[in-house]
Amino acid sequence: MVASLTRRFGDLDIAEEAAAEAFAAAVERWPADGVPPNPGAWLTTTANHKAIDRIRRENKRGDKQQEAQMLHDDDPPEPLGAVDDERLRLIFTCCHPALAMETRVALTLRMVGGLTVPEIARAFLVQETAMGQRITRAKAKIKAARIPYRVPSAEDLPARISGVLAVLFLVFNEGYLATGPDTDPVRHDLTAEAIRLTRLIRALMPDDGEVAGLLALMLLIEARRTARVSPSGELVTLGEQDRGTWDASLIAEGHRLVRERLAARVAPGRYQILAAINAVHTSARDVRDTDWSQVVALYDQLVHLDPSPIIALNRAIAVAELDGPEVALAAVDRLEDRLAGYHAYHATRADLLRRLGRSQQSRAAYDKAIELAGNTAETAALTRRRDQLG
Amino acid sequence: MQYMVSVITGTADLATPDEMAAIDVFNDRLIAEGYWVFAGGLSDPSSATVIDNRGEEALVTDGPFLESKEYLIGFWIIEAADLDVALKLATEGSKACNRKVEVRPFL
Repeated sequence: MVASLTRRFGDLDIAEEAAAEAFAAAVERWPADGVPPNPGAWLTTTANHKAIDRIRRENKRGDKQQEAQMLHDDDPPEPLGAVDDERLRLIFTCCHPALAMETRVALTLRMVGGLTVPEIARAFLVQETAMGQRITRAKAKIKAARIPYRVPSAEDLPARISGVLAVLFLVFNEGYLATGPDTDPVRHDLTAEAIRLTRLIRALMPDDGEVAGLLALMLLIEARRTARVSPSGELVTLGEQDRGTWDASLIAEGHRLVRERLAARVAPGRYQILAAINAVHTSARDVRDTDWSQVVALYDQLVHLDPSPIIALNRAIAVAELDGPEVALAAVDRLEDRLAGYHAYHATRADLLRRLGRSQQSRAAYDKAIELAGNTAETAALTRRRDQLG
Repeated sequence: MQYMVSVITGTADLATPDEMAAIDVFNDRLIAEGYWVFAGGLSDPSSATVIDNRGEEALVTDGPFLESKEYLIGFWIIEAADLDVALKLATEGSKACNRKVEVRPFL
């Protein structure tokens, strides 16, 4: 709804506030008047009216000539699929190169993903007020500098795509490990939205290896979604998941994409390598059956492209399976400077220390991980593991 | 929508004949394609004078209002439909004058 309002009114603030006002009106009126026959259409119409009201109010205050012009919506009625087009346009606006990378991610999560400012702040490990200001400033710049609301031309598309992919992956991750204390641990709405948007991008650029790689990666992770949270609401690690519940058709599609990229014989980017790692996991019957040397080799390739400490942490987890927890722990400990504020660093240490029989240190690491973890199912799993320590 | 494309330099060197020729070609294109509003080059900041007449008496100071290593040495004002168009033109402008440029929208 925000995407279509933005298209009509050319202003993210107005679109967002009109949508919020429409929902507020629904909450107020539906219990008394009954739910209208077509709730979606009611919300859209109400939001349009709210937006027009708001622009009229602002017009009285000043020179909002441009916004007044946008009231005259001369576009012909939009064909089916127009919603997809509008989402794409909104993505490319939010991911514009004139905005700082972290701003693009935050803005897309807010405007396209519909996350709240606190959720985005948590995902970035920054203060809520700072995140709120960043988003407000970005919206002001889009308006003042007139960052266009459209899909770039074919010649500009390749240069614009990597920023979009980074953003979509972050939206997916937020869905796969949601951070809010009151949200579901796995937010299927966000993972599904990220996959849907990545499919749109793939339709736009079918030959781009990283687009295919990101789609494959998301599908291979999404395939394991239902196995990921236990009936009692705990996060289940890859090794303990019931692989029979994995979604075979998503895995088949993911594997097909990975094979397509291997056949292309072009040096893979990070999403293609991550997809290949997940293809190894989803090809194995269980943890022992997993080709860990292949996983570590792929991580080695990835470290060359992306020297981030989080990649190094994930590599260490694979090393634990290949060379044992002691070697892995040494590698993890080297990341302390950069990852001390990241829950997964402490959770990984806790697990490795537990496997080495160092219960006391393991307990301290679990405490730290629980303190930092934002995902309810993960907190539950960490707490049980800590309490099971001898 | 109008944008100011400020040319930023870190040296007092004037444009070379090659740079001047490239700037002329770029200016002709801006005019021919309807983007041109105005453009100009400035002498270096040591020639600046600052006036502050907010108080009772006008205060005249020799030199720029801000001493900095990099400073404004020229500008284009262009008419462009949106920031994508402006950034594309500014990218060519930067190449033509062989300097860094900053793009800012007018209010």
